[in-house]
Amino acid sequence: MTKTVGLGARLRYPITIVKLHKRPGDKIRKQETLMEYSFKWMKEVGDTIRGNTWQQEQTTIVTWDSPSDGELTRWLIREGEHILSDRKAIEVKEECSHEIQFQGLCGMCGKDMTEVNWAVETRDTARAPINMVHDQTNLTVSEVHAQRTEQELQRRLLQSRKLSLVVDLDQTIIQACIDPTVGEWQADPTNPNHESVKGIKSFQLDDGPTNLAKQCSYYIKMRPGLESFLRSIAEMYELHVYTMGTRAYAQNVARVVDPDKKLFGNRVLSRDENGSILAKDLQRLFPVSTHMVAIIDDRSDVWPRNRPNLIKVSPYEFFKGIGDINSSFLPKRQDLSSTGPTANGVKKRKRNEPAPKSKDDAAAVDDPAVTKLQVEEQKRTFEKQINDRPLQALQEKLDKEDEEAEKATVQSEDGSESRSSSPPPSQRHRVLHDDDEELEYLQQHLTSLHTAYYAEYDNNLASQNTAAVDSTTVPDAGCILDELKGGVLQGIRIVLSGVLPRGIDIYGSEIGLQIMSFGAELRPTVTKDVTHLVVNTAQPGREKLLEARRRPHIKIVSQEWLVACFTQWAVVDEAPYVFSARLMEEDDPDHRPVVSDDEDTQEDAQEDTHDNNNNNAPDTNNNTPKLTNGTKPTRLRLVPITTGTHTPAEGDRRDEDDEPGLLPSDPVDGQRSPIDFTNMNWGTADEEVAEFLASGSSDEEDDDDDDDGDDDNSEDGGDEDVDVELPAGEAVPASASASVAVVRKRKGRDEEEDDEDGGDGDGDEDEGKGGEKGENGAPAKRLRRTDSQRGPSLRNLYATGGGGEGGDDGAGSGLPTPGRSDGQDVDMDAPPPDGGDAGGGEEEEEEEMDFDVAELEAEFEAEFDKAELEAQMAAEQAYGAGLTGGEDTEKG
Amino acid sequence: MFFLHNLERRVTLHPSYFGRNMHELVTSKLVKDVEGTCAGDYYIIAIMDTFDVSEGRILPGSGLAEFTVGYRAVVWRPFKGEVIDAITQTVNPHGFFAQAGPLRLFVSSHLMPDEIQYDASATPAQFTNNADIVIEQGTHVRVKIIGLRTEVGEMWAIGSINGDFLGCLQA
Repeated sequence: MTKTVGLGARLRYPITIVKLHKRPGDKIRKQETLMEYSFKWMKEVGDTIRGNTWQQEQTTIVTWDSPSDGELTRWLIREGEHILSDRKAIEVKEECSHEIQFQGLCGMCGKDMTEVNWAVETRDTARAPINMVHDQTNLTVSEVHAQRTEQELQRRLLQSRKLSLVVDLDQTIIQACIDPTVGEWQADPTNPNHESVKGIKSFQLDDGPTNLAKQCSYYIKMRPGLESFLRSIAEMYELHVYTMGTRAYAQNVARVVDPDKKLFGNRVLSRDENGSILAKDLQRLFPVSTHMVAIIDDRSDVWPRNRPNLIKVSPYEFFKGIGDINSSFLPKRQDLSSTGPTANGVKKRKRNEPAPKSKDDAAAVDDPAVTKLQVEEQKRTFEKQINDRPLQALQEKLDKEDEEAEKATVQSEDGSESRSSSPPPSQRHRVLHDDDEELEYLQQHLTSLHTAYYAEYDNNLASQNTAAVDSTTVPDAGCILDELKGGVLQGIRIVLSGVLPRGIDIYGSEIGLQIMSFGAELRPTVTKDVTHLVVNTAQPGREKLLEARRRPHIKIVSQEWLVACFTQWAVVDEAPYVFSARLMEEDDPDHRPVVSDDEDTQEDAQEDTHDNNNNNAPDTNNNTPKLTNGTKPTRLRLVPITTGTHTPAEGDRRDEDDEPGLLPSDPVDGQRSPIDFTNMNWGTADEEVAEFLASGSSDEEDDDDDDDGDDDNSEDGGDEDVDVELPAGEAVPASASASVAVVRKRKGRDEEEDDEDGGDGDGDEDEGKGGEKGENGAPAKRLRRTDSQRGPSLRNLYATGGGGEGGDDGAGSGLPTPGRSDGQDVDMDAPPPDGGDAGGGEEEEEEEMDFDVAELEAEFEAEFDKAELEAQMAAEQAYGAGLTGGEDTEKG
Repeated sequence: MFFLHNLERRVTLHPSYFGRNMHELVTSKLVKDVEGTCAGDYYIIAIMDTFDVSEGRILPGSGLAEFTVGYRAVVWRPFKGEVIDAITQTVNPHGFFAQAGPLRLFVSSHLMPDEIQYDASATPAQFTNNADIVIEQGTHVRVKIIGLRTEVGEMWAIGSINGDFLGCLQA
């Protein structure tokens, strides 16, 4: 327990050591003089009244007092030594290292650690900064001690061939609810839910947040199979509870789950001891090494530092719509949840909130004001649950539906509901279903983790021939988990559609991270090598869906497939999850209210209808343009625009918007579209239109090419064509600019928003173009192409919005719709006066620059959310650019 | 260590209580306010009697009557070096917590005889020498106080069971 002590920063260096008072072997105490030193300084002397003063050097001798107790073992300085700056001076053997402290008392010698004196620069309490005990916050230990304790723990675990498992409570192994309805149902054998609520245990807590919630009963529903799960898991793992509930709650739940205290013992850590109400941290329990720890939790966002060790469990939702009663302090959940339609409406609306909000929450860590708000919110939720009785309401709703159904069908046998005694109560539909099998899979995963872990450990041991516990022999459970998970979806390339809100970084999103952690590749757009398209069945993204339908090898599955894969750690058979339904957004009742948040509900509706039209015959859709003559498609496209609002063309545009309901209202739109207009040269636009009308036939050919070449290389940056198309479309009705403007705006918006439809479509288009080029202006084309290829890499990264647009259009072009062909034509001919396509390319670039400026402004104005959106788009764009070289020439 | 201690305290009484049984009220209020509290470095365990209730004095402004009450109370002051009995509350790898009446004690693993080791695999976790001594939740222990710290209304202590006749108490 020797330590070296420095002179301290407060001395007036340079100093000269004058005399050492103590010798090695002497006992020293704090504040005792150990040595004397001298320093020189300048003093003003002379007659201060007359101003006749000068500086004179003075030498002062000062004593240096011991900052530490113990026995002096060695001097590191000599008498007469000249010292320029702070350095180590003595070695002291301390009697006590104060490694364990309890409330400011040293747990080893009983001294008060909070005493402060002038000789000491650091406080003794700082010597034991780590809090690693489950149920206490006031017991702290030093780093050395923590390390020692943890090594002992690891040794013990290795001996018994166990690992540590940190278990979350709410929605992971249990679900709690304070709705008094549950108690009533339990008491009422005639209730249809009686069977379901039979196994529910309850306890009362008197620490409720309000008078109302005081003495309220907590109903704890254990996940099916929990008991056997825990029993068998406990043979391989040492279990810890880590919950965001209060201590009393955690202990009571632990008592319910584990009445003998055999599983968890007193290894229960609650919100009260956590130190943060926003995040869980494995380092709180295992400050040195988390190599032997795994976590099971239903939320991964609360484990920001320990993602590798986490096995994410799909949340257990037995009490429908109740969720996690202890999550009021946490940001909103943002992951795939396979909750039933009942809770869906609520959930969706929540998701619809601007995504950055959660970030704000995170940023406001432990801000007392925020905390206070959240406390109040929790109070409210508690009160609400007790007063509103959501479960009862649900059941009543179900009953009503049943009744109606019965009335509608049969009258002969009067409804079983009215006299519930005669038929078994289960005949009535019930709200609560206990059909969760997560734990089975979880047990398999944990077992395989354990096996893999100890296989590797044995390997390490065999190769090293040591039984020592060190970082080399002890494998990292996080890595092993990664390996296990990483192979699960290997080789699968997934595109999400309608699953994530727009403007969220798909690679940084919860689902994205999860997908990637299982080894699958996440793609922003549907390309030829994509294997699965995961759609949100409630609101599938039209654009990607159509694109995927064109490629029969892409399996279109609902997001439940993904959930199942995550749960089972296997590529689940897609058959039951195949999404074959037509697009019927308007049929979805939940859809409406959400959309209404959006500015353009009307348009959505129209669009929806249009979707259906398109969807009914995707195949024919593909073919029609081929069959028709060149001019037709262009005309088709033009007509709608001139006429105004809901025309097929517009529908097409709008379609590109993946998830109408999920759009956060986008501030960028308003800002961007006007810019387009300012850049527009209406005169040239008219010319372009004329040209482009004339060139319809060539378009046609292009289209054909496109279709054929679908799966060919998609490397050229084909977007340019598409981009030009915009102005052309507008230009046509220069007179009827108002309606056009609407269209235009929306279009621009769609393009922006639809970030995920990157440029694979573009690729196709390009090819078509290439063919076209062959006919027309091949060299120019090439020039332009190189332009675009160069441009994007730099520009794209930050003119992200534009990039996104480009991608969109490209995707749109995947379908040989008239609009597409238009675009191509225009492209070729678009930059008429400038001397060919190359000129066009330049223009585009310029405009892009403008656009960038606007973008930047927008960035500054729109706070965090904006930045986020940008980043995501940039990421995607960069990605897309890599594939396609596609550019946002659209702006031009 | 327990003491009989003569103390004094000012008790105020609301005017609505003024009447014949004022002194009783004063006494009961005193008991309510004082018993079981930590006053600096001792706990006031129980009030034996009040031997002197002064004449009430109306406080200007509020109308409350203030009585100065002299009373005798049983107080408990733990001393460094004192040996006391306590009940184990929780056990962790660093030591165990014990409660001696109102006083919370921590006994670290450094302050136990060498043969007593932490055993995490037992349920519940315990300190044991693998023979007759088992310290787990609920065990009665005899500890020697080696450190004390007080804050307003609170006291904590560090205990040791390293010594003759200290440690686990056989029932």
